[in-house]
Amino acid sequence: MTSRVDLRDALFGVFLIAVAALVFYATRKLSFGTPADMGPGFMPRVLAGIATAFGAYFAIRGVTTAGEPIDPPQARPLACLLAGVAAFALLGLTAGIVVAAFATVVIAGLGSRETKPLEIALFAIAVAAASALLFVKALSLPMPIGPW
Amino acid sequence: MELFHNLLLGLATATEPVNLLYCLFGVLIGTAIGVLPGIGPIPTVALLLPFTFGLAPPTAFIMLAGIFYGAQYGGSTTAILVNVPGETSSVVTCLDGHQMARNGQAGLALAIAAIGSFFAGTVATIVIALLALPLAALALKFTAVEYFSLLVLGLIAAVVLAHGSVAKALAMIVLGLILGIVGIDVSSGAERMTFGFPQLADGLDFVPIAMGLFGLGEIAANLERTSADRQVVTKKVTGLMPSLADLRAAFPAMLRGTAIGSFLGVLPGGGAALPPFTAYALEKKIARDPSRFGKGAIEGVAGPESANNAGAQTSFIPLLTLGIPSNALMALMIGALMMHGIQPGPQIMREQPQLVWGLIASMWVGNLMLLVINLPLIGVWISMLKIPYRLLFPAIVLFCCIGAYGISNSMFNVWLMLGCAALGYFFIKIGVEPAPLLLGLVLGPQLEENFRRAMLIADGDVSVFVRSPISAVILLIVAVLLVAMFSPKIAKKREEALAE
Repeated sequence: MTSRVDLRDALFGVFLIAVAALVFYATRKLSFGTPADMGPGFMPRVLAGIATAFGAYFAIRGVTTAGEPIDPPQARPLACLLAGVAAFALLGLTAGIVVAAFATVVIAGLGSRETKPLEIALFAIAVAAASALLFVKALSLPMPIGPW
Repeated sequence: MELFHNLLLGLATATEPVNLLYCLFGVLIGTAIGVLPGIGPIPTVALLLPFTFGLAPPTAFIMLAGIFYGAQYGGSTTAILVNVPGETSSVVTCLDGHQMARNGQAGLALAIAAIGSFFAGTVATIVIALLALPLAALALKFTAVEYFSLLVLGLIAAVVLAHGSVAKALAMIVLGLILGIVGIDVSSGAERMTFGFPQLADGLDFVPIAMGLFGLGEIAANLERTSADRQVVTKKVTGLMPSLADLRAAFPAMLRGTAIGSFLGVLPGGGAALPPFTAYALEKKIARDPSRFGKGAIEGVAGPESANNAGAQTSFIPLLTLGIPSNALMALMIGALMMHGIQPGPQIMREQPQLVWGLIASMWVGNLMLLVINLPLIGVWISMLKIPYRLLFPAIVLFCCIGAYGISNSMFNVWLMLGCAALGYFFIKIGVEPAPLLLGLVLGPQLEENFRRAMLIADGDVSVFVRSPISAVILLIVAVLLVAMFSPKIAKKREEALAE
């Protein structure tokens, strides 16, 4: 099955152009200099220019040629994965590694339809305890163990 | 006789008790993680990298190299026993290796893979030792002009030989170069694209980027697929000692595989997938009865496995002599060097002989360890294979978080990894390979610095790159590669060669 436009190429093109635009914006105050005496803005703008050209090429090729459709993205696996990582970043230094590790494993685990609640909870406790012993105690990772 | 002197120095370093211990440690952990399906050597090395920072540089790199080829070997074990390749390089091992396992020859397949890897590793170690000195001597003659051209060649060649769309890979390199700009500009002191975050002043750490793009993005995409039944060969693995007849059948294939792998591994981009595919194609072509392939032919395991390991090792040559990574994994190694405060480049052989030769010698020692310990431990690896994915992946997510935090003890990197995970998922969805981005990210700062210096010497005259003879030759190769890639006829051939 093919669709009328190649969405993959088109999206990649748009993404490249967006990145290039961000680079142009973020480095707008840096001096370009001359090739003999390059300013800090030289390389970013040259690269952003190249990225824009690539982006335009893919965007145009994407909307003018037919391509395979993208598998529909599923929200749950990605959302749970990212939430799990965020939980670690938010809890790690305040509540300690045991709480953070438990939360990360459980939340990330919810991303799979095969996960069983009791199993993942027990597994998370085991992994959290092991992480505290291995990383904080044995490898002296500077992170509190618990919220106390 | 300098060669012997160097190898002796290397062996002395590699056999120091602490280095032996960490080599063993690296090989074991590498295999253990490499065995797990869906985790290739790149996330494995990225994951364990932060825990080597406390070690002396030679010890750290001996351990990292151990992790790397341990992970490779673990991938082969998975390929043979489960028919799920842990990484692209063991895809071909699945074809005949898993068939052998189904025919009750799992032990033989594993043994042949291990022996082939060890043989290839021994030869590759010698190849590295022989090539390292002349290449490094040549590289010392390079000025910024030649070095810039060489970096360009490294980037382009890595793309051409890897699989996937060339245009998209080039665009990904540019993205990587852009990410490499982030931080304080070394020559002017100006902050570039730091968006006010003080954590970005030293640039982006590449480990969270690698873990996010390769590890977590992959997991998110994996979870969307309905889990295919993993058929672990659960029968007790016996027959680990191959008979003389088996060895005689496998040995010529090992020789050919080693030769192919050693050669292709040196080429940029050749490190990962190319050697085993080429070796398999060759074995099939010269076999008297090609129809045996795919049904458990012993040559179909011996050839690719030898090629795989030889290539994995000789891909260290451009890294150690020129400071140029030939693939994403070597880019990680370069990043690791920089984190240990060692500037990669041709001077590294002179300034860090212990590190370089210790690493080279440890490859041989590590391969020996793999051969001796892995076969007896096969029961342990099989039990690791039985851990269901639903438990495995949350644990991997957690270890990635701890690893990202551990690089500089900062949660900023965990957030960075989170962003890269989303980005990696996006790339997988739109069918773009993230590996070239990593190459660009690592080489970006060097590329800019050398270009700047070259322009300063030549007073802004770009023709300096073709006036220097060495640089002109290098750029000519780049031009030929690019023209070849965009000519439809050759592009088609390349697709066929890589698809086989």
